[in-house]
Amino acid sequence: MLTLVLFNIFNGVIIGLFYVLMALGLAMILNLSGVINFAHGNFLALGGYFAFMLIPYIGFWGALVVSPLIVGAIGLILERTIIRPLYTRDPVYSLLLTFGLAFIIQDICRTVWGSNGLPLTPPDSINQPISAQFFFLTGYRLFIIGIVVVTVAALFLFLRNSRLGLRIRAGTLDLETVSALGINVRLLRSFNFGLGIFLAGLAGVLAGGQIGLNPNMGDDLLLPAFIAIIVGGVGSLIGTLIGGIIIGVAAALTTVFFPSGSQVVIYVIMIVVLLVRPRGLLGEEGMLT
Amino acid sequence: MSLLEIRAATKAFGSLIAVDAVSMAVETGQLRAIIGPNGAGKTTFFNLITGFFPPTAGQIMLDGQDITHANATKRVHMGLARTFQITEIFPELTVRENAQIAVEVATGFRTRPWISRGEAARVRDRIDELLTATGLTAQADRLVGEMSHGDQRAAEIAMALALRPRILLLDEPTAGMGEQETYQISRLIRQLHKQSGFTIVLIEHDMRVVFNLADRIMVLDQGRPLAEGTPAEIAADPAVQTAYLGKAEG
Amino acid sequence: MSSTTIGETFERRGSYRDKLALLLIWVVLLTVPLWLPAIGGYTSLAARILVFGLAAMGLNFLLGFTGVMSFGHAAYFGLGAYGCGLMLLYVTNSTLLAILAGILLGTVGGALFGALIVRRKGVYFAMLTIAFGEICYYIAYSWNSFTGGYDGLRGFQRQPIHLGPLVIDIQNNQTVFYFFVLAVFAVCVGIMALLLRSPFGRTLIAIRENQRRARFLGIPVERHIWMSFTISTFFASVAGALYALINNFADPTTLNYIISGDLVIMAVMGGMRSFWGPLIGAAIFVALQDYISSATVNWMSFVGLIFVIVVLFFPRGVLGYLRRIPL
Repeated sequence: MLTLVLFNIFNGVIIGLFYVLMALGLAMILNLSGVINFAHGNFLALGGYFAFMLIPYIGFWGALVVSPLIVGAIGLILERTIIRPLYTRDPVYSLLLTFGLAFIIQDICRTVWGSNGLPLTPPDSINQPISAQFFFLTGYRLFIIGIVVVTVAALFLFLRNSRLGLRIRAGTLDLETVSALGINVRLLRSFNFGLGIFLAGLAGVLAGGQIGLNPNMGDDLLLPAFIAIIVGGVGSLIGTLIGGIIIGVAAALTTVFFPSGSQVVIYVIMIVVLLVRPRGLLGEEGMLT
Repeated sequence: MSLLEIRAATKAFGSLIAVDAVSMAVETGQLRAIIGPNGAGKTTFFNLITGFFPPTAGQIMLDGQDITHANATKRVHMGLARTFQITEIFPELTVRENAQIAVEVATGFRTRPWISRGEAARVRDRIDELLTATGLTAQADRLVGEMSHGDQRAAEIAMALALRPRILLLDEPTAGMGEQETYQISRLIRQLHKQSGFTIVLIEHDMRVVFNLADRIMVLDQGRPLAEGTPAEIAADPAVQTAYLGKAEG
Repeated sequence: MSSTTIGETFERRGSYRDKLALLLIWVVLLTVPLWLPAIGGYTSLAARILVFGLAAMGLNFLLGFTGVMSFGHAAYFGLGAYGCGLMLLYVTNSTLLAILAGILLGTVGGALFGALIVRRKGVYFAMLTIAFGEICYYIAYSWNSFTGGYDGLRGFQRQPIHLGPLVIDIQNNQTVFYFFVLAVFAVCVGIMALLLRSPFGRTLIAIRENQRRARFLGIPVERHIWMSFTISTFFASVAGALYALINNFADPTTLNYIISGDLVIMAVMGGMRSFWGPLIGAAIFVALQDYISSATVNWMSFVGLIFVIVVLFFPRGVLGYLRRIPL
């Protein structure tokens, strides 16, 4: 029984971390550019598929680094070419655009790599069970935890301490002033977008090693990522982080007692937050709200 | 009892105190002007009065009633009408249509899916009244967004008048206007004050307008009241002169 | 009645051309059974276009006329469909009652959820509407025993309508059913037009044109947005109820975000700022999607491309360009 509980909690932690990774990328794009990226889950899939293509040439470790970079670069190019013209317009247009992109990317994945799953095997060195009693503690899962923790920490350090990070944060608060200070807001937005997509691509590589690749793999993570942002508070990345962890853990705990209710509990949390503290846990009144 | 009374209103944004314990009492039928260098907190003060956001401290009383925590919409219904520094109008609609919306809301029709022919006629008459009062009858069917600055401001004032306000609050009504338009608008304000007896509070940078129109002037500097009195008193006040000479004028 | 919402709402002098266009639209709609089969169409395709057109026009009440974005209107469409289907399956033989049940379910859902989120603005509001849509989708495909899960709700049939001695056989006669749908559509469109030309409709346009000015004229903006939201969910749920009757089938895909996005693109494609735009957009989109999905396996890419191309090159939509409505 204890093993079962721990198994579910551990799974919940892993899923929660994926929620966090997705939600952070989504939130960064949302906060700075006001764009809801419907295609975020599809960039995740691309990240996994590119890794699949790269592994024969540069190995898993190489793919882990290069694939997200490629996906991030694609995101950056797309932002520069087709998303940027939409910033001055009604936000409905950028939503429709990412919507359309989602369809296109998903179809490309299906056409190129087939709709059946593809395996993405991590190297044997990390894919070992660690404990006989706790069979679910595989090396790979610990590896995922490690990478995500390191990435999130690096992201927050970057945003807090680097000049570029500072500009991004200032931009989410007051883009006009940032622009008036002579900072190139367009480059800032492009870079920010690319960074958000990079995170999605990374999540894709990691997820691929866990559950295999298929064109829909990002779909199940997209809505929880939205909810993580809503629960944590729009405009606050730390809030998003906390939101992701909360819903991941809540889903996990629910699985132990009510297996069918694990998705519902996330929705329930969202409704409760909306009723009790509508701007989210750490959200600021008036910031995008 | 004053019509509008603000008691020691304060507004702080974090550690920045934009308005610091400013008091003002406006009597019915007065025209009060608020002047001061840029950043003096004049618009923030207006925002407090009109309910844009709540004060950090202090009270706002309208005709003896405490409206300190009433929201903006409620204050409009209680008789506070305002214009903004950057004209807030419906640019894609004609003057008549702009006025129509204002009149219909003021007449209580805002949720009506249908109005009778008689009611519609009353609305039309009221619109014509407002257009005449603001001198816009000839331009009634022009898109407001295409009109001159002065005419846009006149349209905005017409909308405010539609609300049958007890007090008109005008935030820099002649902002960005040339000689001709400034004259046009200040003449309109003078008419509203002298002939129609409206109580008006205005923020202004143009001293000729202020000294021409105001019964009393209040000077704000860095959120604090610097001086208050008749135009003659203010003109002679050395502290006011320093404040204006020492800072760039807007 | 001109097709620019401003022109109509404010009774700007309707030109001869506008009245002619209106006549043309109704002539086309009334004669569908005559000409549609000739060009390779079928009457239930026309019914589908009307239904999606109604849903898109309902959404546009909120999106185009009030200026508020919702990307989750499929939820109310689907609630209407399921409400109608469940009613026919478990409770009654009356088609009219079933439709009413669907409308009730969708509209109450909309009113409640709308009240919850109305204070949020912009993209955050849109995100919340998406989330609600997905919640409804989840309930529909999980609650197997009640809703039929992934396979959808089957086993009900639209029943002939008995009005005293008159029997309207919408069950077996496709043409009669089409005219029934058209009649409901006409009533709804009439209500919509009435609302838009009223003082209430003008307050919505005011909110779209300048929310701050609307607020400072004494319009309780959030309350009016809620009303607009609820009205739009009403029309979406009427459309959903009719949709369930077209194929005697309701399934979870009517609820998910894809349909929500489709409704938005229909409104934009036809022209967000015009009254009839969404119907035209629905006609184009439904017909296109029908054709593409039978022509190629990569229909998803093409649909996605439609979205991208419309956004980048035809943002004002068909009627927007024809009437030179500003963005």
